[in-house]
Amino acid sequence: METMSSSISSSPFDQNLGLLDSIGEEGIDEIIQSWKGFCSSTASLLNGNGDLSVGSEFVAHVHSLCKYGLDSLAKDHFLCALEETFERNGSSNFWQHFDAYSHVSARELENNQIQVAGIEQVLCKSLEEISLEKHYQEKCLLMLAHALQSHQESVLEGRPDSNVERVYLFSKYQLMVSSVLMTTLPRHFPEILHWYFKEKLEELSKIMSGDSEDSDECQDRDEMDLDEKSKLLRRSGEMEIDACYQSKKFSENNKLVKNIGKVVSDLRSLGFTSMTEDAYASAIFLLLKAKVHDLAGDDYRNSVLESIKEWIHDVPLQFLNALLSYLGDLVAYDRPSSGLKSPFASHPTAHSPGIDTSSQGIIRWKLRLEYFAYETLQDLRIAKLFEIIVDYPDSSPAIEDLKQCLEYTGQHSKLVDSFISALRYRLLTAGASTNDILHQYVSTIKALRTIDPAGVFLEAVGEPIRDYLRRRKDTIKCIVTLLTDGSGGNTNGSGNPGDSLLEELNRDEENQENIGPDDDRNIDDKQAWSNTESWEPDPVEADPQKGSRNGRKVDILGMIVGIIGSKDQLVNEYRVMLAEKLLNRTDYDIDAEIRTLELLKIHFGESSMQKCEIMLNDLIDSKRTNTNIKATMKMSQTGTEQVETAVSLDILDATIISTNFWPPIQEEALIVPGEVDELLSDYAKRYSEIKTPRKLLWKKNLGMVKLELEFEDRAVQFTVSPVHAAIIMQFQDQNSWTAKNLAAAVGLSVDALSRRMNFWISKGIIAETQKPDSHELTFSLVDGMVDSGKSGIGGGHCEELLLGEEDGDRSVASVEDQLRKEMTVYEKFILGMLTNFGSMALERIHNTLKMFCVADPAYDKSLQQLQSFLSGLVSEEKLELRDGMYLLKNNLNEK
Amino acid sequence: MFFDRYYRWHAVASWTWDAQDETCGICRMAFDGCCPDCKLPGDDCPLIWGACNHSFHLHCILKWVNSQTPQAHCPMCRREWQFKA
Ligand SMILES: [Zn+2]
Ligand SMILES: [Zn+2]
Ligand SMILES: [Zn+2]
Repeated sequence: METMSSSISSSPFDQNLGLLDSIGEEGIDEIIQSWKGFCSSTASLLNGNGDLSVGSEFVAHVHSLCKYGLDSLAKDHFLCALEETFERNGSSNFWQHFDAYSHVSARELENNQIQVAGIEQVLCKSLEEISLEKHYQEKCLLMLAHALQSHQESVLEGRPDSNVERVYLFSKYQLMVSSVLMTTLPRHFPEILHWYFKEKLEELSKIMSGDSEDSDECQDRDEMDLDEKSKLLRRSGEMEIDACYQSKKFSENNKLVKNIGKVVSDLRSLGFTSMTEDAYASAIFLLLKAKVHDLAGDDYRNSVLESIKEWIHDVPLQFLNALLSYLGDLVAYDRPSSGLKSPFASHPTAHSPGIDTSSQGIIRWKLRLEYFAYETLQDLRIAKLFEIIVDYPDSSPAIEDLKQCLEYTGQHSKLVDSFISALRYRLLTAGASTNDILHQYVSTIKALRTIDPAGVFLEAVGEPIRDYLRRRKDTIKCIVTLLTDGSGGNTNGSGNPGDSLLEELNRDEENQENIGPDDDRNIDDKQAWSNTESWEPDPVEADPQKGSRNGRKVDILGMIVGIIGSKDQLVNEYRVMLAEKLLNRTDYDIDAEIRTLELLKIHFGESSMQKCEIMLNDLIDSKRTNTNIKATMKMSQTGTEQVETAVSLDILDATIISTNFWPPIQEEALIVPGEVDELLSDYAKRYSEIKTPRKLLWKKNLGMVKLELEFEDRAVQFTVSPVHAAIIMQFQDQNSWTAKNLAAAVGLSVDALSRRMNFWISKGIIAETQKPDSHELTFSLVDGMVDSGKSGIGGGHCEELLLGEEDGDRSVASVEDQLRKEMTVYEKFILGMLTNFGSMALERIHNTLKMFCVADPAYDKSLQQLQSFLSGLVSEEKLELRDGMYLLKNNLNEK
Repeated sequence: MFFDRYYRWHAVASWTWDAQDETCGICRMAFDGCCPDCKLPGDDCPLIWGACNHSFHLHCILKWVNSQTPQAHCPMCRREWQFKA
């Protein structure tokens, strides 16, 4: 038998059976007695409400059972009893506390502060209760462990590993506790945790932000609370709150962190480690998000990134540091039972003091929080980028923040996508003026080059704007105005008021030159300028680093010229606008234009600007010649007989132009008043005397006349074209004219006269009447006080200015007119092409023209010029544009 | 209504050389423009007449005369070149 038993003693069960075989009746009786005793003492221990008086009896029974090798049976029974008791006294009671909240939705929690306060109380109370219960059970379990251990010590001579039994039992127990709670977990419990932490963090955040006056008071009160609690805990066993390190700032809020720490450690010891961590993490992120929104707001004039980082350091990180330090000891104690990994569980050294104990856990938290803050701020700024750019440069702090965020997150593509759609929705619409679009374009370039010095993302963002602007007819004109005119349009607040963009760019460049050490840059720039014509954007995919390494910087002017396609077109448009401006002058003051020309020469090269230079030179020469002629004529006048003509040469000035270098001039026959005509002849005569063999050819319809009309009670000054002046001066001797007679007197057609007459009618100077029996129009002077509310004539003295363009009177042919004239040659060719091919895309028409029109005259227009000519043909209904293809208009009707 | 005698008329004129031809027979550029060596037309790049009554840019005929030694002829009529007195 003995040999048999020893040979089959491989399992405890077999061993037990073997033992049972070897014992007699007496032994069995003892076993039954011990078992009964063990069961009843277990029951009274566990249900004894802290009564440990059955302890010695219990230990004796355990020893007795051990003697017969029934220790595992005893352990199993004890654990079963624990589970039953825990279910009954622990978990069900615990969950009952939260029943009241089972129907409360997250939304209701958010809106009802009182209930949240209730939650805190309920949570703390129920945690305390269940923890006490658990502690008591653990003490009982410890008793069993000690009993088992003391038996082993008596049997075996040597010291067995005293902890093995205990560790085994406690891990079993911990597992049981967690699984009981988890299987009975109500659905709303994680939410309750979340709101608890949210509430506590907000409280902390408030304290940190400074309103800590009443916190001292409640701190004292809570300190007492805490003392009582810890006494209670000390009495009940091992759970002792060590004086843990608190950060300087949080040390005064000790109690709050400790309370939270206590809740966290209680929850952990119940096995809710990861659920708890999720809850406070989500509360921290929620609070951080709110804080970022709160700090950032709609104020773009201050940087907020630093204060956000400060806040992260001051509130959540301090809190986490304090919490982790607080938990440090508990973690170490809890370790055998916590199989779940948490960032701090792996750090038994967390209890070493010092805020700068940058444990990996804290560093990880810091990175997570900062990344989240960067991303949140970045999304916020990107969503408002349009407004931010409108506000540029005042908003540059916001741009700088965004730059840092993007450097961290690398989500530039988010910016590109979001901004392009904002542009499409808000800017690139029929309602926006070309000027506004251009200003926003320039501001965009200026703002984004901070974020993206190489201009790679800027290319992607700028493309839709450029595309859209190319389809607008007044784009070139607006660009030229933007570049060269400091007086108007520049309402965006960028740069000094009164500065043209060109001036501003030049100043920026000079400033950079003063800073930048590399001398090569100048040459680069010139190279860049000469390349403007063939300028092409970089591919979007290009590496931004690469660009900046090459020293390429965002070239604002290049990006503006890029809208038009070539600098020649821009220069041409400028020349026309300059001509218009110069011919509508009543003086020779061209200082501003000279300055602008100098800037244009720097950027577009001297040869491009030569014609403009000659135009300005004409004005300088004219001034000199004008003075000269008048001086010599006065001399001859005083020398001989006093001329009896009523008007002296004083009233006449002239601008003498070198026609070949000016854009085509619009000439119109005009009969000027006799006295003026005489002066013109005298002037021309004198000119040819001085400048022989050169002579003057008057362009009588061009120029400007300043005149004053005097009525009985008022005088009104006008600055008008010679045509308007010639018309009104006819009324000097005759109050009323038929249209036909007046037209003949000033040398205009009746239509042309009527068109000009509208100006005088609108000013209330002339009235138009039509005799009922005939169709004849009559114009009469409106005399006396007619205050018809028409614009311009108030009482007293005022000046009216009529600019040529107002009613279609221009001194110079517009670029479009010139282009149409030049392109007409190709019209037949284009129509013929389309007849043959049906429909063609713009580029194909362009290439075909380039290929076939090589002489008489060679086709030398740009794609944009062709496009603008074709859109003219479309509006004349000769062509139609469908899906980017041009086709003949009548072609459709025939089919 | 009375017209104040005071008004100012700012007129516009173009100048032109009082010459028979429009372009210079040497450089083929317009007289009202300037010769290839000049940037500014008018006083800075004057015309000059020969005894034969043909006119050229001063700069053009000077270059021509200097290149034709010992005796220069008018590029247009081949007569001996003499500046008009
Ligand atoms: Zn010449
Ligand atoms: Zn010259
Ligand atoms: Zn000759």
